[in-house]
Amino acid sequence: MRSDPGDIAIAFEGVSKHYSLSLQKEATDVKSMLLHLPRFLSNARRPFVALDNVDLRVRRGESVGIIGPNGSGKSTTLRVMAGITPPTSGRVEVNGRVVGLLELGSGFHPRISGRENAILNAVLLGLTLDEARAVLPDIIAFSELGDFIDQPMRTYSSGMYFRLGFSVAVHVQPEILLIDEVLAVGDAHFQDKCMEHIHGLRRQGVTLVLVTHDMLSLPKFCDRGVLLEQGRITDEGTPQQVVHNYLARVEALLALRAEDQQRLKLAQAVGQ
Amino acid sequence: MLRNRQARRAYDLLYLLTFRELKLRYQDTVLGFGWSLIRPLLQGAVLYVVLSKFIRIDVEDYGLVLLAGLFPWTWFQTSLTLAVGSFAANGALIKKVYFPRAVLPLATVLNNGVQYALSIPVLLVLLLVAGYRPDWTWLIGVPYLLLVEAALIMGIVLFIASLDVYFRDLEHLTDVFVGLIWFYLTPVIYPLSIVPDKYHDWVLLNPMASLIEGWRDLFLHNQVPGVDLWPALAFAAGAAAVGTLSFRSMQGGFADAL
Repeated sequence: MRSDPGDIAIAFEGVSKHYSLSLQKEATDVKSMLLHLPRFLSNARRPFVALDNVDLRVRRGESVGIIGPNGSGKSTTLRVMAGITPPTSGRVEVNGRVVGLLELGSGFHPRISGRENAILNAVLLGLTLDEARAVLPDIIAFSELGDFIDQPMRTYSSGMYFRLGFSVAVHVQPEILLIDEVLAVGDAHFQDKCMEHIHGLRRQGVTLVLVTHDMLSLPKFCDRGVLLEQGRITDEGTPQQVVHNYLARVEALLALRAEDQQRLKLAQAVGQ
Repeated sequence: MLRNRQARRAYDLLYLLTFRELKLRYQDTVLGFGWSLIRPLLQGAVLYVVLSKFIRIDVEDYGLVLLAGLFPWTWFQTSLTLAVGSFAANGALIKKVYFPRAVLPLATVLNNGVQYALSIPVLLVLLLVAGYRPDWTWLIGVPYLLLVEAALIMGIVLFIASLDVYFRDLEHLTDVFVGLIWFYLTPVIYPLSIVPDKYHDWVLLNPMASLIEGWRDLFLHNQVPGVDLWPALAFAAGAAAVGTLSFRSMQGGFADAL
């Protein structure tokens, strides 16, 4: 099964991730643990399966888009890839420097300046301090913040906050970039600029894994689409095809529901 | 190569967070760094009046004996109180970004260590005014004891902060235990010399007792602590090992538990 690491950026082999629901909710302090002792000891925790035996390979330089309904395991997939959380079982292999963009401006502090926040954020995301200082001028230029860069971030509008967050994120020189739904913010001009920058990164050979609800952007950014449903990969192929199949099924489902509604109404009418 | 880079980045993060915390604490305050001195000095002044004038504790140069213990103790107590909750308090960040998590509590410990180090010159001035003659032993003793105390605090903090992710009671427990029990059992507001002989060995089993006495010997008698420091050394080594190991085994679950 082992493949040439020079070719594969990310490999999931039989990866599962379970969350223990009651453990999270009830065992946060000693008192509640004692209160729920019988249940706690009887091990009656309800495991929630976020990822169920997932096999996935992302080749170097490839761009993979993951779609699926809410709670299907898309974000969990990215978190496992980023190393934020370990899988419950299975093997994860990641070759190259990963930068996970699961949220923009993680760790930004409102009371310090944009400049200082940008440096800390860049180091947090994966640069060393020297590297962060070296790309800082690019980050500031890209963010178009001008003199505001030296103002405390509490004075920023949400758009400015987003712009700085994104500017840092795209300048941390990842080999593998994981993006979770963070593109759909900001004004049209800045969005275009972001898209353009991401295309640029792709041309440089950066591997991209994108989680999105935006079915239209998937074919624009990705070579391959993956559909996740209830923690399993249920469809895989060209982005157009996967999106098409998925939408067709959602539509069919909606049509079915509408039909049910009709029947129900009819039955009620007949009943009266 | 990759490991090197990771270590470098962890160090950079530690540096940035330590100084961000320092900056945030003094930003928009009139007295700035003064607050770091005012608190222990004021506490020292009150304790001095109460213990020396009212209760009439019989110790030579009691004010200096008190401050020489109170300053290093303050580093210990403030670090512990502030740092044990730092994983729990940074849940949002831990869930969204992968970075060496240990930097969160360690930055708090270092930040308070910097504040303590900056308060040593104040002590130096007071000693000079009182006629003491600090000498070159300080150049060895100060870094040595700083290192021992840092290892001791960091070990304890890593251990408790990791467990605190699962049992938040530990924040309160630490606060109560350190502030109300450990403080009085350690010779901070009294020197070890006035403790009756039959309790001596018991008091010295407390690692903080030998450490505080070590600081005192250095500041007041220009003595670099020798074998007497063993409880603190042993405890610091043990705490650093236990802290590191327990943090390593627990950190994988942080993102899920928070």
